[in-house]
Amino acid sequence: MLVDIWEGTEPRPEVERFCDMWGIKGPILLDPGGELATTLGVRGVPTNVVVDSDGTIRAFGAARLDELEQAIDSLYGR
Amino acid sequence: MAAIGERDDPAFPVGAVCRIDSRAPWRQVAEIPVGLDPEGIAVDVARRRAFVACSRSDFVSVVDLDSHEVVAEIATGAEPIDIGLDEQTGRVFTADAHSDQVTIIDSATLEVETALPVGGYPSGLTHVPEYRRLYVGNSLGSTMSVIDLDTLETVATVDAEPGAGAIGVDSTRRLVVCVNFVAASANFYDVDSFEEIARLELGTGTCAIGIVPERGEAFIVNSIAGTVSRVDLESIEVVEEIRTGQAPVGLTVAPAHDRIYVTNRGAGTVSVLGVADRCEWSQIPVGNGPGGVVVDPHDGRILVANAGSQTMSIVEDLLAAKPPAPVVEESSPWLGNRLPAFALEDYWTGERRTNHDWAEKKYILNFFASW
Repeated sequence: MLVDIWEGTEPRPEVERFCDMWGIKGPILLDPGGELATTLGVRGVPTNVVVDSDGTIRAFGAARLDELEQAIDSLYGR
Repeated sequence: MAAIGERDDPAFPVGAVCRIDSRAPWRQVAEIPVGLDPEGIAVDVARRRAFVACSRSDFVSVVDLDSHEVVAEIATGAEPIDIGLDEQTGRVFTADAHSDQVTIIDSATLEVETALPVGGYPSGLTHVPEYRRLYVGNSLGSTMSVIDLDTLETVATVDAEPGAGAIGVDSTRRLVVCVNFVAASANFYDVDSFEEIARLELGTGTCAIGIVPERGEAFIVNSIAGTVSRVDLESIEVVEEIRTGQAPVGLTVAPAHDRIYVTNRGAGTVSVLGVADRCEWSQIPVGNGPGGVVVDPHDGRILVANAGSQTMSIVEDLLAAKPPAPVVEESSPWLGNRLPAFALEDYWTGERRTNHDWAEKKYILNFFASW
């Protein structure tokens, strides 16, 4: 799911424009103050945090497509 | 506004304005709050000022580079993204993406002189003093505007491709290179006739360029692909793809032309890449979501616009040459640990969602910003 951070302003209109532009319909959470991002030490966007079914973080960062695919493969034991 | 040094990095204590760490090949000098979504920076060397294009604030923050304070905010058109300064005329140019114009500011009076219409969604510009030309990449217009720096007349509008933005000029070979973010390509033009003489396919998300003319090389950032393409300007072909940090966005060539600086929007760092060896010499931490980057010719310090933290970082690269040990990217300390509990608002429903809603499921949190 997407987590919107660091808009610097009211996030809803910005997220609406973003979803319209890219045709996004999936789950989106709003973290306007970036609290979760700060807790996790996120320093930039995009940052992907891959979470296993027991809540364990299996990959962090993975901004490149090949890195993300590798992380997903690993998550599913492929 | 005063300079700040607050960082989450425990080695950079809250309240500090300067970090000196003999182990690190860099030094953080300041992190200065500016407007929203800062993207481009230009330096007025004579007056010791930086002009920061703040795209979400529709103004330029003017930063005193000695006191590290914002001394003025100058209203522009909507969404100023890129910026440049012509020392000969003292004019500052902003590419106002949402107004389809270039705003021209007098750097002495800090007042807007005029605005010039260009193509749709201008997102990048480069000025070349020796040619007396300003080149503007129009992303939605898929064109490149060429403007006379003195008369401010548009002397040509040249076809480019979707996502036209950043532009580089090779004075030795008299080439203008326009890189196209959406098309993932670059167009090469003769500087005099504007005739297109070559085209290159590049990596996804092509968005910044730097040229080292004496080596006949261009370095082009592919943000989504996460690489920098090294392009031979004689044969006009990609000869190498160089990996950098996460989501590279901005690039500038160091004054000595021995290294380039690449901002990594996904990592909050600047990669220092050797021009000759194409190795990553170091990664310098800056603010969150960095983009535009320039070097202050006065002292060689690196100025970085951080879209995420709405600041401008000033850092020093302390490396005299390639270090003996390569860069090792530190992995997150959260790897292998449990995701902390969270409760965040669902954009679609307004409800609070917690990590328990996804209990016993495998999922990915993709942190993003609309800019």
